[in-house]
Amino acid sequence: MAALRSRKVVELFYDVISPYSWVAFEVLCRYQTRWNIDLQLRPFFIGGVFKETGNKPPALLAAKYTYAQHDLRRLADFYKIPVKMPPMERLMRRENVNSNRLLTAVTLDCPEHLENLSRELWMRVMARDQDITEPASLETAATAAGIPSDTTPQLLSRIRDDDVKAALKDTTNQALAYGAFGAPTIVAHIEGTPVMIWGSDRFPLLAHLLGERWEGPLREMAKY
Amino acid sequence: MCGGIINRFFTVMISSRSRGDSENSELKVTVKETRITVYMYSRQVIQRSFKMAAPIRKSVELFYDVVSPYSWLAFEVMCRYQQKWNIDLKLRPFFLSGIMQGVGFNQPGPSKASYMGKDLKRQTDMYKVPFKMPSNPAEVILIKGSLNAGRFLTAVDMNCDQYLEELTRQLFLRVYYRDEDITEPASLMSAAAKAGIPEDMAKQLLSTIKDQAVKDRLRETTQAALDHGAFGSPTIVAHVDGKPQMFFGSDRMELMAHMLGEKWYGPLPELAKAKM
Repeated sequence: MAALRSRKVVELFYDVISPYSWVAFEVLCRYQTRWNIDLQLRPFFIGGVFKETGNKPPALLAAKYTYAQHDLRRLADFYKIPVKMPPMERLMRRENVNSNRLLTAVTLDCPEHLENLSRELWMRVMARDQDITEPASLETAATAAGIPSDTTPQLLSRIRDDDVKAALKDTTNQALAYGAFGAPTIVAHIEGTPVMIWGSDRFPLLAHLLGERWEGPLREMAKY
Repeated sequence: MCGGIINRFFTVMISSRSRGDSENSELKVTVKETRITVYMYSRQVIQRSFKMAAPIRKSVELFYDVVSPYSWLAFEVMCRYQQKWNIDLKLRPFFLSGIMQGVGFNQPGPSKASYMGKDLKRQTDMYKVPFKMPSNPAEVILIKGSLNAGRFLTAVDMNCDQYLEELTRQLFLRVYYRDEDITEPASLMSAAAKAGIPEDMAKQLLSTIKDQAVKDRLRETTQAALDHGAFGSPTIVAHVDGKPQMFFGSDRMELMAHMLGEKWYGPLPELAKAKM
């Protein structure tokens, strides 16, 4: 009898304020049906990562910010993801953490909505230049993501709960323990060893490490 | 036939031999003749006859500094792909320090630096580039630097650019395979010898590296990269439909292929030139 090949766990640590995290998220969502992987979404807090590592957000260097705007336009076309670099004011808002806490609450309470809500928050902040910090914004996003509207007020109130704040901190610390210094951080578990990969431009390498094939952007699987 | 002029459309299938694939280009030609003569042409003859109709090579500039490890990766990949793609690869040795002074620089913290070491090993393994991290990379990059190497490459570019590719490779092998110096005259002479540059020519070129013309040229190349928005090395500028497209790093190759209308074949290790 043939042995079952167990799925390899691939963790994606991401923050919805990070445009390159959206690219990694969509690519991995497409490939979870092609590769023998168990994709685990881990919303974390990039601000916490920068604080702990002393690494600077790339957007703070003007030439890098300008390049990233251009780079993302090309990647949007290549991957068929409507991603755009948000304006600096949105990137730097302290209240962005509210969206991370909401995603953490969803992870704890109703994880079946995590993928859709993550996508909807990115659509808001990256594709439509909309707020993702105010309760009203988050409520709209939750409803648009298919979370029943009678449960959203309770879910939103969870943003202030200690267990949700602690869980977000915990996920962020897990990423740091893997050596994370930015977003997205992908951790592929290969024969018991965690391999940390940073960014959204190592998919051919990830495929190689997983013993899988990289088949390009798979635009035909775009959700847009 | 009443002896009038007959127009004929001929569709000629031309194989694009330089592209290394079996894709054929079509060329429609109107021929006026009173008599039809059938010739069997060899593929080469047809190619020569219709040379004017061959697609123009797209210019791709690679700005690089031999002190930058990811630049070696980009360099080797582009050298492989100049055999596969309809491109005209222009090597543009520049001065990374000048870039960093121009736009600023965030020095990677310990966790990022540690990651880059692992990433370089994995990427260069996959691409079959014989990379080995030097024992003191901070000293190599930040203290010893690449000013003399950059000027020497510039002098070669100005005078005998047929050696530029191999000299570049030999300098990368020195610093990022054998952990050897690239700042001293003897080091540069050794790299030049391995690159096949005749000794007296190498000596002569080495004597010019402090000339104003060479300094100016290196500065101009660095400025050209800055003008394209460069903030690091490697910086690739692909000229697509008359517009320059700047790509930073060694990991935008597949995207660049897409924009150039070319096919991405991955690492192509069978075309590797860097020998240990």
